[in-house]
Amino acid sequence: MTEFYGLPNTGEFWHWTNALHFVLVGLAGGMAFLAAILTLRQHPERKRYWWLAGILIALDLFVLWAESPARWRFSHIWLFFSFEPGAPIWWGAWGLSAAMAAVALLLLKQWVRLLERIPEGVLGVVMLLGSLVVLAYPGFALAVNTTRPLWNSMMLAIFPITALLMVLAIAILLGSTWAKRWEVWAAALSLGLLLAYPFTLQEAAREHLFREGLVGYALAGLLIAVAALLFRNPRWAAALGLAGAVGLRWLLVMVGQFQSPGL
Amino acid sequence: MARLGMLIDLSACVGCAACAVACKMENQVPAGANRLWIREREVGVFPDLTVEFRPEQCNHCENPPCVPVCPTGASYQTQDGLVQVDYNKCIACGACIAACPYDARYIDKKGGYADKCTFCSHRVAKGQQPACVETCPTYARIFGDLDDPNSEISKTLEAAGRQDVLRPDMGTRPKVIYLNAPSKKGLTQEVMES
Ligand code: SF4
Ligand code: SF4
Repeated sequence: MTEFYGLPNTGEFWHWTNALHFVLVGLAGGMAFLAAILTLRQHPERKRYWWLAGILIALDLFVLWAESPARWRFSHIWLFFSFEPGAPIWWGAWGLSAAMAAVALLLLKQWVRLLERIPEGVLGVVMLLGSLVVLAYPGFALAVNTTRPLWNSMMLAIFPITALLMVLAIAILLGSTWAKRWEVWAAALSLGLLLAYPFTLQEAAREHLFREGLVGYALAGLLIAVAALLFRNPRWAAALGLAGAVGLRWLLVMVGQFQSPGL
Repeated sequence: MARLGMLIDLSACVGCAACAVACKMENQVPAGANRLWIREREVGVFPDLTVEFRPEQCNHCENPPCVPVCPTGASYQTQDGLVQVDYNKCIACGACIAACPYDARYIDKKGGYADKCTFCSHRVAKGQQPACVETCPTYARIFGDLDDPNSEISKTLEAAGRQDVLRPDMGTRPKVIYLNAPSKKGLTQEVMES
């Protein structure tokens, strides 16, 4: 039997607000990625996606700041006055900023004479690079913690791919026909990862996942599976895939705050 | 430059938690958070029964996983090998908490920053001992420079029998070193229960 005087700080350190951010940052990065591709391909729908990307990035940055206990100390400025390449969150701060700057310039270009001469392609490339960083960093932010056995290297794949699943779903719901084909792929890949993931875990971690999150995990899997199969009805597929991806990301953030046994 | 560390002799520790209380008072640790706590575990069955009283705190790891993940540089390692938080830079993102294998860190909600054991650097700077060391009634704790061969800590370590650190497999190289673990198998682990 183990007893304590005082307690180790084992409680949840990332709360539902952080889980919300892990969803929003997927939407923000994914949408910026779509916007960047559409920009580089000179697609007629691109403007709408600039707006979407801009709003989602701003929303995520706002949530990040608003939920931080440090919000009124304005210490976040240090994210940009430091060089911390070992910190996924530092990369995320710069990636989101780069994508946001590109989006802002693309939108302003339409009205501000001075900016007219900046080529769209250059901003598209900046947005693309920023979005790739944003897509990648949440998975890294989890997987760097080798002491958290649920957050293994599968996070590096699950987070970017479910992000794409979410934004492609939104694109379908907004009537962008090009998104349909890719959505099926994103759903199929997400499903594959979701099925493989439990087999990649140490036993104690797998037990923890199933004890704490079996219902949620199964439900997310079911939603994504149906989404992958619903070729005939892309809108339903999109809605279900979106819900499944949101659920999966949320669950992994919350349930993964689990210390490896050994203390 | 020193390499500051701490020894805790588990053959002397009775788990009275005087150190934990001293820490609470000295550092005004907020309710619900702990910089130092005691884990008490029974191993074996009568007549081969052992109790391990194990104070735990930040190990000021030589290879601290909490430092590189900090996006603002708020978590850093001093030249003397202490792992500290620069409160002004901390954004309370919790990345360091996620990375620490020892549950040593918490968010000070009122201050809005991550915090943990500092090895009482404010006292050490004045030439005093950490509060937990000073208060320990069984003299189970020794603090000092592991790199100085003439320090009490180095001499004790040299002469010591069994030495252990928590989760050596994590590669963190803790500088809180436990001496004379009561169980023959060393420090107890969760899995050893039952
Ligand atoms: S015990 Fe935790 S907080 Fe302390 S230095 Fe090691 S990893 Fe960092
Ligand atoms: S909570 Fe503070 S010290 Fe910890 S990683 Fe975030 S910014 Fe750094």
